[in-house]
Amino acid sequence: MRIPPGVRDWLPQEFAFKREVEERIRDVFHSWSYSEVLTPTFELYEALEQGLGELMAETFRFTDPNGAALVLRTELTTPIARLVAARLRHATLPLRLCYLANAFRYEEPQLGRMREFTQAGAELIGAAGASADAEALFMAVETLDAVGLDDARFDVSDVAIVDGALAGVGLVEEDAQLCKEMIARRNLVALREFGSTHAVEERRFERLLELTMMRGRDDVLRAVEPICVTEASQAALTRLSEILARAAALGWGERINIDFALLRDLRYYTGLVFEGYIADLGFSICGGGRYDALLPRMGYNVPAVGWMVGVERILLALERRRKDERPRNEVDVLVSGSDAVARRERAKGLRVRVDARGLDRAALLEYARDKEIPRVILVHGGREEEISEVPR
Amino acid sequence: MSEPLVIALPKGALYDEAVRRLGAAGVDVPGEVGRRLHVLAGDGATELLVLRSNDVPAYVEFGAADCGIVGKDTLWETDRSVSELADLGFGECRLVVAARRADGYHEGVRYPTFLRVATKFKRAAQAYFAERDVPCEVIALHGSVELAPLVGLADAIVDLVATGATLREHDMVVVDEIARSSARFVVNPVRFRTKYDALTGLLSRLQRA
Repeated sequence: MRIPPGVRDWLPQEFAFKREVEERIRDVFHSWSYSEVLTPTFELYEALEQGLGELMAETFRFTDPNGAALVLRTELTTPIARLVAARLRHATLPLRLCYLANAFRYEEPQLGRMREFTQAGAELIGAAGASADAEALFMAVETLDAVGLDDARFDVSDVAIVDGALAGVGLVEEDAQLCKEMIARRNLVALREFGSTHAVEERRFERLLELTMMRGRDDVLRAVEPICVTEASQAALTRLSEILARAAALGWGERINIDFALLRDLRYYTGLVFEGYIADLGFSICGGGRYDALLPRMGYNVPAVGWMVGVERILLALERRRKDERPRNEVDVLVSGSDAVARRERAKGLRVRVDARGLDRAALLEYARDKEIPRVILVHGGREEEISEVPR
Repeated sequence: MSEPLVIALPKGALYDEAVRRLGAAGVDVPGEVGRRLHVLAGDGATELLVLRSNDVPAYVEFGAADCGIVGKDTLWETDRSVSELADLGFGECRLVVAARRADGYHEGVRYPTFLRVATKFKRAAQAYFAERDVPCEVIALHGSVELAPLVGLADAIVDLVATGATLREHDMVVVDEIARSSARFVVNPVRFRTKYDALTGLLSRLQRA
């Protein structure tokens, strides 16, 4: 009995582990006073088309018996933007919403990339500026800390800074867009070739190449400052240096770097962009940024910043570190011979296993030893016998 | 000591020069690698994975290797997200459309209304003909592509050409150049950050070498 490629079963122990990680993520979301929401697993194609763009090619699409075109959600930000634009338009801003749900993408299944996966994330809607940006980034740091990845590092950039630098080199419109794509992929070869086949100011273009390879903190800000000619990019530099200073004050100075070329999805982000990763995985675990253009496309003119983390990617990272951890016991007490006693124990909040096979005393104790159940209660002829510390 | 730097090297045409460049950059690859696929370099701080060239992008994308040397021709055929940091300037060759001299396509004879093209570079070939609105069927082969037009399997081929000797031997000519390839230094986007100093250091030594 097969299952299709790109999806998986979760067996009890794996699933318990996943739930535990998810609960820790939820705890962080709640500690930042975010409210959890959930949108439908599938929606009308036309409702999500606005926000998805390139992702549309990766959607699972189908039609209902009336011919309506439907898609499985590929992520949660667009559906939540839709929800906010349609249902929460009169709610007081800013809104702080979070989610933890599965999403679906039709792509080649491989390590860290499944066709069904779980995303947790948070959206801060209706707030612009460094404080809102910092909130998204700091929540992400605390979330990875909470699940046990306190060695995770974060790189940040700002789309406006890259735009400002491109304008400073004299690149506009199509040329700027082309170069931005090359910068996002950190394709130095293509950038160099572009520089040698187009009329660019050589010294400044050389600077752009250097920046694309640059990663650091205040040194990157200082290096990029002189070629950022637009007001928006200067404002972004100020925001970024404020965020870095605030992170340093929290003791995260070493963990957060600026990577000029970090742009993620070009079509989507409009300001801050960040990614979190650990040294032993070759792909990022979480990411996010400012997406001020999405809600306006849905008719609601408010800014927004958000981020998400791939739950399976966290599990992948943790798996490698907790190889020798023993599975936890799942039962607190084993009860035989009385529904009422079992119910009484459940009411105490214990995990109770009821003997379903009518085992005799010796077999019950053997079972308890085998499953590492610390207490056994036997009820026989109205008499209750309790054995704690089941002998080995 | 810190984590070793893991470099993916392609077997085949680029291997010898890649090893020579690495040596000049201070990473000594043992001369006798033989059948071993995983070797420690002379500096003790670098590990080398010797792979089929087609596999280099996958190893680098997933971070099984931090970086690698691979021909651009291999990158054309994959969607793997690796950062292409430098053209190392060796292993140069051209991807071309070629056909039998007798067919005269190189002299302006029009392609048949439905062109059959044999190639090892399916994606590059499809992209090239799609861009020019030439209806065609691409026949994916794994080697000896030059044979296809001679035995009537295809009207033309898309293949790499270094000196052109193989084409001449089969009485074939270049119809058009699609692109130029050479060896590239590629890195994993996350390792670029976590091993920034080691990787940028190696890159600048490779570029001087």
